Amino acid sequence: MATLTDVISRPASQSGLWSWLTTVDHKRIGVLYGTTAFIFLLLGGIEAGVIRLQLAVPNNSLVSPDTFNQMFTMHGTTMIFLVIMPLSASFFNFVIPLAIGARDVAFPRLNAFSYWVFLFGGLLLNASFLTNQAPDAGWFSYANLTEKPFSANAGLDYWALGLQVLGVSSLASAFNFIVTIVNMRAPGMSLMRMPLFVWMTLVTSILLVLAFPVITVGLIELTLDRNFGTSFFVPDGGGDPVMWQHLFWVFGHPEVYILILPAMGIVSEILPTFSRKPLFGYPVVVFSGIVIGIMGWAVWSHHMFTVGLGPVAVSVFTITTMLIAVPTGVKIFNWIGTLWGGSIDFKTPMLFSLGFVALFIVGGLSGVSHAVAPSDNQQQDTYYIVAHIHYVLFGGSLFGIFAGVYYWFPKLTGKLLHEGFGKLHFWLYFIGMNVTFFPMHYLGLNGMPRRIYTYASEFGWGELNLLASLGYLVLFAGTSIFIVNLIVSLRKQPDAGHDPWDAPGLEWSISSPPPAYNFAAIPQVHGQDHYWIVKRQALAEGKPITEPEAPVNPASIHMPSPSYWPLVTAIGTLILAAGMLVDVGWPYIRFPIPFIGGLIAFIGIIGWANEPAAAEHHAAVATHEPAEPHAVPRPIQPLCSACGSELNPTFRFCPYCGSQPRVNCSTCGNELDPAFRFCPHCGGNQEIPAEAHHEEA
Amino acid sequence: MFKWRPIRSKQLALLGLLTLLFLVIACAPDAKQSTFSASGPVAEKQLLLFNVLLWVMVAVFVLVEGILLYAIIKFRRRPGQDELPPQTHGHTALEITWTVIPTVLILALGIWSVITIFDLDQPPAGADTLEVTAVGHQWWWEFEYPDADGKGKYITTANELRVPVDRAIQINLRSDDVIHSFWVPKLAGKVDVIPTRNNYMWFQADETGTFFGQCAEFCGVAHAQMRFLVQVLPQEDYLAWAESFGETPVLTAQAQAGQQVFNSTGGCVVCHTATGSDDPAVVAGRITGFMTTETGIAPGPNLTDLATRERFAAGLADLNRDNLRQWLRNPEDIKPGNYMSERANIYQTADGRVSLSEEDLSALLEYLLSLK
Amino acid sequence: MAHQGETSHHAAPGAGHTEEETTTTGINHRKLLMWVFLSSDCLFFGSLIATYMVYRGQSLVGPYPDSIIDVPITTISTFVLLCSSFAMVQALSATNANNQKGIQLWLLATAFLGVIFIGFQMYEFYAFLKEGLRIDTNLFGATFFTLTGFHGAHVTLGIVWLLGLFFVARKGRLGPRTALDVEIAGLYWHFVDIVWIVIFTLVYLIGGFDSGPSATISIPIDPSILGFLG
Repeated sequence: MATLTDVISRPASQSGLWSWLTTVDHKRIGVLYGTTAFIFLLLGGIEAGVIRLQLAVPNNSLVSPDTFNQMFTMHGTTMIFLVIMPLSASFFNFVIPLAIGARDVAFPRLNAFSYWVFLFGGLLLNASFLTNQAPDAGWFSYANLTEKPFSANAGLDYWALGLQVLGVSSLASAFNFIVTIVNMRAPGMSLMRMPLFVWMTLVTSILLVLAFPVITVGLIELTLDRNFGTSFFVPDGGGDPVMWQHLFWVFGHPEVYILILPAMGIVSEILPTFSRKPLFGYPVVVFSGIVIGIMGWAVWSHHMFTVGLGPVAVSVFTITTMLIAVPTGVKIFNWIGTLWGGSIDFKTPMLFSLGFVALFIVGGLSGVSHAVAPSDNQQQDTYYIVAHIHYVLFGGSLFGIFAGVYYWFPKLTGKLLHEGFGKLHFWLYFIGMNVTFFPMHYLGLNGMPRRIYTYASEFGWGELNLLASLGYLVLFAGTSIFIVNLIVSLRKQPDAGHDPWDAPGLEWSISSPPPAYNFAAIPQVHGQDHYWIVKRQALAEGKPITEPEAPVNPASIHMPSPSYWPLVTAIGTLILAAGMLVDVGWPYIRFPIPFIGGLIAFIGIIGWANEPAAAEHHAAVATHEPAEPHAVPRPIQPLCSACGSELNPTFRFCPYCGSQPRVNCSTCGNELDPAFRFCPHCGGNQEIPAEAHHEEA
Repeated sequence: MFKWRPIRSKQLALLGLLTLLFLVIACAPDAKQSTFSASGPVAEKQLLLFNVLLWVMVAVFVLVEGILLYAIIKFRRRPGQDELPPQTHGHTALEITWTVIPTVLILALGIWSVITIFDLDQPPAGADTLEVTAVGHQWWWEFEYPDADGKGKYITTANELRVPVDRAIQINLRSDDVIHSFWVPKLAGKVDVIPTRNNYMWFQADETGTFFGQCAEFCGVAHAQMRFLVQVLPQEDYLAWAESFGETPVLTAQAQAGQQVFNSTGGCVVCHTATGSDDPAVVAGRITGFMTTETGIAPGPNLTDLATRERFAAGLADLNRDNLRQWLRNPEDIKPGNYMSERANIYQTADGRVSLSEEDLSALLEYLLSLK
Repeated sequence: MAHQGETSHHAAPGAGHTEEETTTTGINHRKLLMWVFLSSDCLFFGSLIATYMVYRGQSLVGPYPDSIIDVPITTISTFVLLCSSFAMVQALSATNANNQKGIQLWLLATAFLGVIFIGFQMYEFYAFLKEGLRIDTNLFGATFFTLTGFHGAHVTLGIVWLLGLFFVARKGRLGPRTALDVEIAGLYWHFVDIVWIVIFTLVYLIGGFDSGPSATISIPIDPSILGFLG
């Protein structure tokens, strides 16, 4: 086995196609995620265009019902699984290691694997168009319409297998980010000092880890039903289509928070930056995010109020669903509290963030109205719901994501996006979004069901549908402006400098774009809004910071090396899944191709496992590296108060005796925050004699 | 100056939003499926709950967006403003307040919601309830009355539900194939029609007239065209209809020829009954998955008394000679994806047009229009 | 899902290095990854078990569990799997003690007991097929084969992993400094073992006497409680 890696030399190129195919750099993977997802965004947008064009006037026959059904199914599936989730993942990748002061994620190759599997999953799903068998049962594909007698072509197989592959990607990246955030924070970054975006990424990743297996099981059962004659959801065989709804929504509701929490995290970074004021009620915002994540598990049946669950179940889910509005409302109030008394600068990221708050309020309020079951009975499956999800997913998630794009673009590329184009983009989106989706509330209440490919003029839905379709054109223009902005800014914009926004995050202390190793020296975190503390301290000392951290010789820092194996394993995974589409009809092995895919994946895994990866975990290696940035005192080496042993600087307790070190500064005698490695009162960083804190022991 | 412009347009946009919102509340036109013009206790209670929620929503919206807007304008950065604003980190009392107030508000609304949920679950005890079974088919509705006239008369009809005014109607919901959802917005919120569940819902119409309904759960190709009508009749008219239902129609010579077409050459009778109700055993048999067998036939709407209906093809088209002729020529033109085009022998032609002669077609038309 | 197992399987030994590393929590990355993966796998098996429980007694045609489930035989295979967990513990302790012979012996013993368990399962599947229970026969067949099949796949993966470790051990590369490699494999193995205890209890001890659709099940389970189970 080891010979395999001996024969194939490790990829070493730093540029060109190969470097991208074999990269394990979290920043490059973030770019890959973002670019791919943006292309899928355009695709999903085109699908939305077909929908809006068809519905612009009553009795339209522009597209056939089959095409229309494929369009809304693929629009929903694409926007959720191939756009918003991977765009969030793109931010996780690019921002998280920078924001927690790490050099990469915990498992860089697993990270590359996540991306390739995501790409292949998206391609598999969209390959259905090439065979003219796109899935057509809606993004939640209710059984038993999805069973063979009603959906004979392979569309639902593409859908089930595509989502299965995407699930592997999401799970792998969620595992990675949980470990990264829990385990790779720079010294001093306690949980309650983590930036909000890091917190929301952690909550999102935990939700992903717990929610995806449920849909995995549902998809396995659907695939077995369709290809192996089981009856999990087939009434004739005793199965229950409602079981699918439970499996889907037990996944699907946490999924809703998987889609919105990252955007909430982004906005919670941007509002303080452009108000020049810390986030109002940081612990409450963190806690409400966690509460939303937990309560998200207790509300799934509100998607099923019309299923006939009985008044008791419906009442319980009505109350739990209404209560989830409380932590959401708390977040909104705290955001407003952040603005209050601030010095608000209307740069494009801020506009998108304010747009997020304004539009999310609308989505949240309409959400309360269908949390109430009797009211929902009139709204379920109508355009009122379509309006609601677009206010939270477009006005919410996508506005948050675009806020993040404008905010972190200078860090990624070294250039600011053009403000004029950016503002135009924002206003087109803000207006287009409201013109498109606000009328849908009214359409729904006026009796227009969702997922209808045509409607009669007698219902009086024509005018507002036309208005909504015109709104689409505004959104289309907005997206075009964004593309222009990207191109123009990359070519024409001057260098942005390392910290264009005077931002509080760690990532702004290093140069833009960041060097491959991120931080020349792993920073010592002094509190929430670390870089603000550093900058203001430096300013107070009369030595304002104008330069990023000085670069070092990259060769002095051990970074993970590129690898072929994630790509090989991902290709194997794709063949494994896509092979399930080809039934060769052999007597015992109807599906031989997946075995080939499995073999390729296995070879990839063996190669991966045997590849020398000593470079993979390096966070600790460089802590003793050259010059500390910005005259931050060198960390002290705490000693255990009870036994005098030397403590690992990242431990909060003594590993040898278990006691908590209470440290007092040896020069001034003040008690130190255990997370500080230097004295905040006097700046001293001397060795502390063990006997200095015996009064506590 | 430049700083001001976005703020003003934002104000305008929000003002526009508000205006639209009030437009919604103020003018609820009498659209055919508007949930705002509720009739009867079920829809009215649902609407009342929604209206109260709506006003609470509007109040919260105005308040929160107003504060947001105020904060945005008041605390905007002025030119030359370089100093750091006061670095507040939070305010415990304030944060507790804005957690507790929404919780109390929501629990109050929640309790009222729960009361309404239980209230609307069953028709009022002791009411003289008319039971009807609605069977969802891809893509039309079948209605069965186990006891239509109070004397045990069994009626099967399709796509047009006739019920008496001021009487509680319980609809038992069954599906023949996939999940559908039974929804007559003006009478009651929807309830899903699921193959494995014996769901039910009830409503009571306060006024006579025609109410429009539509399948609300995506159920395949022609989901958009799975509509139906509820004809609410005065009590006596309803009874008269129930008693006279299925009486032998008077047929002209041409209609008799048409009956021949219906029963033999056309093969219509394989799926449709035109003379009286379907056998309950046959109907019950269908519900165990008639559709899933590849027999080439599908249950079709019962056509008894067809000519008394206002519309045909699941509420799609007004019932008149021209429309019906067009439908019979090629149903695919009116309702793409329907099973009649797909499975009936007479439509297995290259262009999907009926293979009957023009003469047979006219006779068939005459026959169908004399079913009353 | 099986694939996800592979992913973290390779990711774990993949890191393959021995130096103690500094992490924020003091827990090794790979070990934390395994815990996170196992929490995810809990929900995977939870959903499969929930499906089984919801469809208990809902099969329309036989064979039903009471006619073909053999509790005594499965009790033996359960015992074998429990013993393999003991062997796994011994393997880890031998690794920590740097007892090279012991490492090899106990790793092999764990894998061997796993193979015996899989042997029992293959026998059981074969016997069921002979009795006429296929995955598409009825809901019992569908839920039973899916649940136990995925568990068997997990065990098989564990065996491959253990054998891989065994070959590493033969080269003398396992010892106190690399005990983590064994410990992580052990976490996985014990988890799979615990899942089997749950399956054995629910499917065999409680559900093994279910009969056809008319039979009354002591606790009627409505799908709406699925989430609380899963």
